[in-house]
Amino acid sequence: MAWFQKKTPEAAAESPKTTPPVRAGKGLKVSSLLAEDTILFPVEGHDKAAVLQSLAAAVCGKAGIADWASFLAKVQEREQGISTTLDTGLSLPHARMDGIPGILAGMAVLKKPIPDPKQPDLSIRVMFLFFSPNKQDAFPLHLQLLRGVSSLFQPALIDQLTASSSPAAALELIKKLEA
Amino acid sequence: MKPEPRPGRRVTEVVVLTTAMLSFISFWRASAIVLCDLASTAWYVGGIVETAIGPAAPWFILGVMLCAAPMLMLYVEGSSMFVRGGVYKVVRESMGGSLAKVSVSALMFDYILTGAISSVSAGQYLAGLVNSAFPHLHIHWSVDPKLFSVVFALGVVAYFWRQNIKGIEESSDKAIKIMSLVSVMAVVIFAWAAYTIWSRGFRWPSFALNFTHESLGWFPSHLALGRLGLLVAFGHAFLGMSGLETLAQVYREMEAPKLKNLKRAAAVIFVFALVLTGTISFLSVGLIPDEIRHTYADNLLSGLAMSMAGPHWLLLLLQAFVVLVGVIILSGAVNTSIMGSNGVLNRLAEDRIMPDALRHLHPRFGTTHRMINLVVLLQAITIILCRGDVYLLGEAYAFGLIWSFVFNAGAVLVLRFKDRAKREWKFPGNLRIGRHELPFGLMGLFLLVLSVGLINLLTKRHATVFGLGFTSFFFVLFLISERINKREKAQDEHREKFNLRSAADLAIMREEIERPNRVLVAVRDPGNLYHLNKTLETHDAETTDLVVFTSRIRKGLSLVDETVSMDHDEEKLFTRVIEAAEKHGKTVTPMLVVSNEPFYAITQAAQAVGATEVVFGVSAKLSTDTQLERLAMTWGSLQKDKQPVRFRILGPGVEHAVDL
Repeated sequence: MAWFQKKTPEAAAESPKTTPPVRAGKGLKVSSLLAEDTILFPVEGHDKAAVLQSLAAAVCGKAGIADWASFLAKVQEREQGISTTLDTGLSLPHARMDGIPGILAGMAVLKKPIPDPKQPDLSIRVMFLFFSPNKQDAFPLHLQLLRGVSSLFQPALIDQLTASSSPAAALELIKKLEA
Repeated sequence: MKPEPRPGRRVTEVVVLTTAMLSFISFWRASAIVLCDLASTAWYVGGIVETAIGPAAPWFILGVMLCAAPMLMLYVEGSSMFVRGGVYKVVRESMGGSLAKVSVSALMFDYILTGAISSVSAGQYLAGLVNSAFPHLHIHWSVDPKLFSVVFALGVVAYFWRQNIKGIEESSDKAIKIMSLVSVMAVVIFAWAAYTIWSRGFRWPSFALNFTHESLGWFPSHLALGRLGLLVAFGHAFLGMSGLETLAQVYREMEAPKLKNLKRAAAVIFVFALVLTGTISFLSVGLIPDEIRHTYADNLLSGLAMSMAGPHWLLLLLQAFVVLVGVIILSGAVNTSIMGSNGVLNRLAEDRIMPDALRHLHPRFGTTHRMINLVVLLQAITIILCRGDVYLLGEAYAFGLIWSFVFNAGAVLVLRFKDRAKREWKFPGNLRIGRHELPFGLMGLFLLVLSVGLINLLTKRHATVFGLGFTSFFFVLFLISERINKREKAQDEHREKFNLRSAADLAIMREEIERPNRVLVAVRDPGNLYHLNKTLETHDAETTDLVVFTSRIRKGLSLVDETVSMDHDEEKLFTRVIEAAEKHGKTVTPMLVVSNEPFYAITQAAQAVGATEVVFGVSAKLSTDTQLERLAMTWGSLQKDKQPVRFRILGPGVEHAVDL
């Protein structure tokens, strides 16, 4: 099952952002949502909030969004609810935002695991942050991405990511796995 | 050793509620169960009624069989209101617990007698055949019919005791085979009788009533019977209508669409019993010569077989066939009586009227074996005490039957005024005057059965004496055990008993799955089963297994040390689940897991059973979006294949479905 639509010329034309957002469609991979400059590597964060802040700034910066604080606030609000950390070591913060035409995503690979504040027995080793359009018809895509990312980031991949040497190497690992 | 998919979130115990996996039966099976009792009366009702009222017996038997139609309609209306219904439930709702206990005590008396009269009558038929066949086989000894019938009856009761311990599917299977055989016999008898009538002619029974001193009982001899004689005769023929209460008892286990199937079953029962019992009664009087008919009083169908046109050896074979089928159906009636009385006692137990110990489930078959043991024991005692006298049993019979009908008709009538909620189905004959509806049909039926009940009190002495005795005994028994139960436990709502099968691995679920598709419904709050009911409405039980799932969340050491038994809330939850499944007539597989995270628990269970759809109710704590998000994440992290899944969240006015 494919989770995303291919990027269309129309979508690219609509968006003034430096990194065109990606729409759901067939054939698109999680790796296509990431770029080397939206992969923070390795992160020395001491807590989840700090890592989240750095990651939100990077993702919004890449997309040319100046008001990254509102994006951060939204995802922090979501983090107040049910946990987004899985027992694989992946943390998957997310938020649905008005005004974005597609998915914006970034990833942080942590140098040392940090505990999840809501579930202290779980450690975060990789954080994947994404924002999706706050539209009803985009919600299935949002859910599909949640499922797709959590399915992809199994402990074996996370081990390899934390052992990799650079964002480019990390991205290459994901591409290789999705190939 | 408990499996750990990985450190962190896990399921540590899996419990399958095996008792709760009800199997539902078709209307054919339900009809067969009831007919095993109702149609079996054809083998003895003719002889008993003719002895009591004379050669007009067939007309009154026909009248009683026609009367089965409104009685069946009464049961359809009662069952449409209460899935776990029957006379006890209906009377309790309308007239209160005390009268309900009286009605059910009377009914228990007839269930005990049904087993006894049917099995003893079967023994009599067999003894008659043996004694008539032996001379032809040059065997110069005979069996004592009464002793033989007692021994045979005890064997039959023991056999069906075992079948009922195994469960309803086993016993309904036997019932349908029995009724198939009876149908074949009916066709043979009717065809042969048609040939006999064609070659010899037919003499219609007279309308003359010829009561004996015994059959008038305490009726004042100086009073002229007049038209009251019709009612007396009708009362004597009423034993032809036994077994209807069992229809209400098996309704719980009838498959969807329940009410439609109940009506179908009622129609099948009525037509079959009317044709078989009615026709056989007429043929017996019309074809068996008057001078020899009394010798076949205890085995009238043998007399009918031997009075057909044809060579003697062929008639002997026909008699053997009739006896064989009779023995089988009469034995089937024993089965019905055990099944019906077990159902009635279960309704009482649910109301804490029976001791809790009697509700204990059989460890292997999950049946209420102690109740079955009690019924069978009482039947065996009755068989021994009657010493093979079918007429005595027949005379004592029908007390509980008629009075349970009186209570049932009265209760359904009272409920029409007491509970004006819309019925799924109503007994016909209702006249609407303005805003009020007068149930004339029900009133007429109530007056009829009340009249028969009252006249039987006078004329059927044995029934009155033994019936009142037995009824009082059961009533006092129920009263005492209810008091003891109330003293021991605070009054609490009914909770189902469950047999639990536990394992440390979700692989256990694969053993419970039979159908190609699976749907998992997650439940937590007994007051919020809207989503389960909606799922059951459209659930295709033929192709899809429905797993109803709940999780017990434990943290730390208590997760590992958790013992597998259900707590009060879980019992209450699954009791509601079972009631919902029964209401829709669809099988569910209930399961409980112990885990430290609810979404992991749901996901692991759903993936273990291979669910293609996961259904939730609307949560009071989490938004539907949050529920779906968390489930999607967990699903992905645990998924080992790319099998698509549909998540549905259902609530009043809420329906979300997402395909992933």
